[in-house]
Amino acid sequence: MSIGILGYGVYIPQYRINKAEYVKAWGRFAAAGIEEKAVPGFDEDSVTMAVEASMNALDHAKVDASKLNAIYFASTSSPYAEKLVSSTIAMALGAPPRVSVADFTSSTMAGTSALLLSLDFVASGRGHFALIVASDCPYADPGDFLEHPLGAGAAAFVVGEGTPIATIEGSGCTTIEALGERFRKHGEKFIETLGIPAYTQAVIMNTVTSSVKALLNSTGRKPSDFNFVVLPQFDGRLPSGIARKIGFEETQFVPSMIVSQVGDAGAASPLIGLAKVLDEAKPGHKVLVTSYGAGASSDAVSINVNEEIMKRKGAVSSVKDYLADKKYIDYIYYLKIKKMI
Amino acid sequence: MAHVSIPSYWKTLPQRYCLIGMKCKNCGTINFPAREICISCKQKSEFEPKKLSGRGKIYSYTVIAAGSAPPEFSEQEKLAGSFPVAIVELEEGLRICAQITDYEEEDLKIEAEVEAVFRKIYEEDKVIRYGLKFRPVKKRKSLP
Ligand SMILES: [Zn+2]
Repeated sequence: MSIGILGYGVYIPQYRINKAEYVKAWGRFAAAGIEEKAVPGFDEDSVTMAVEASMNALDHAKVDASKLNAIYFASTSSPYAEKLVSSTIAMALGAPPRVSVADFTSSTMAGTSALLLSLDFVASGRGHFALIVASDCPYADPGDFLEHPLGAGAAAFVVGEGTPIATIEGSGCTTIEALGERFRKHGEKFIETLGIPAYTQAVIMNTVTSSVKALLNSTGRKPSDFNFVVLPQFDGRLPSGIARKIGFEETQFVPSMIVSQVGDAGAASPLIGLAKVLDEAKPGHKVLVTSYGAGASSDAVSINVNEEIMKRKGAVSSVKDYLADKKYIDYIYYLKIKKMI
Repeated sequence: MAHVSIPSYWKTLPQRYCLIGMKCKNCGTINFPAREICISCKQKSEFEPKKLSGRGKIYSYTVIAAGSAPPEFSEQEKLAGSFPVAIVELEEGLRICAQITDYEEEDLKIEAEVEAVFRKIYEEDKVIRYGLKFRPVKKRKSLP
């Protein structure tokens, strides 16, 4: 028995809007490297997306919801500013009333924060099984170019004692105070930015690079040790900039790229990226996952893929399955469905 | 589908969120929703919770046309113009009434296989009422 990731699952809503629709409406699509993005249906939100991803993860892990000791929900777009929604997810899954829950909000880094803390929860002996689910559909003003890359999706991981499909080797973190990049004040519906691209870019690059260096130092690894690297995907261009700075090759980070089809799925992006590479990974592979949250902090997590993963391949719908199941909508319908008109 | 107060919605959450029916200990019939007197043996029996699979077939359906939706669904009607409501016959044999979502026109037919999905049903007094709808079977793979 060891502690690690027992299973995972994702959910991507079926609606897509493509670049051409934005170009028709605005004359341009201000989202580098994004071809189309996922859109939650009229009756979906970060909670309903989380439920489906969680059910996939529990099936994949072969863990019954009644066994869960903790459920952590991570999102920047919880429908409630105050009121737990991990409790809603707990009941929808059929988790027992004694389950410990927490909502991790207000940062696109919330997914990896919850993942790392769920491991601590199990390692400290507080419980045997934890489910973490990052589910997000960030909102910005449709008149703001910041809105263009925003997509949607969810990824869930079951962490616990057993025969893990993957284990966490180590993690690194860097936190600095940064102002005026992505933020949303209390009572506001939309994210904003002061729109200083060069500054924002530099803060993201330096923080992520530094967390990766912290991880490399503590684990004694070098960039070339990793088969797959998941870099922050706020657009399709950022990952190559970060990769160049640290020394990762395209072959390492391209397989994790989901932003070109899903858009920026906020706190869920790093974990959907991780799910995508785990779908393809073989035993013995090493994966590096990074996240970034404005304000600013970055996690870097090193993951070893185990033999057990081969037994679980194809057990539940993959990232590819969800990416292939899609229905295109036009820009007006997009605004209606996102309740922006 | 008229107005349901928060306390009565709350009392029926296991049924609304995850299809928990009550199995009669006298005759084995699953009562959904829960009742005092068993629908089958008409006894004031003891019941035990039983989770239903959520898989079934469309037994019949109707499309709620523009203008005839209950007030809590007016926002949805404004967007879609109309929306389908079906009687779904579950694997376990019982029939329940629910909305169909994520569908194409050709999915709406008697005997079409559907599965339960957790969705927003409506919002009233700022409170989101979640519950189950059904969609054509296509997405989630079930384990062997
Ligand atoms: Zn009975």
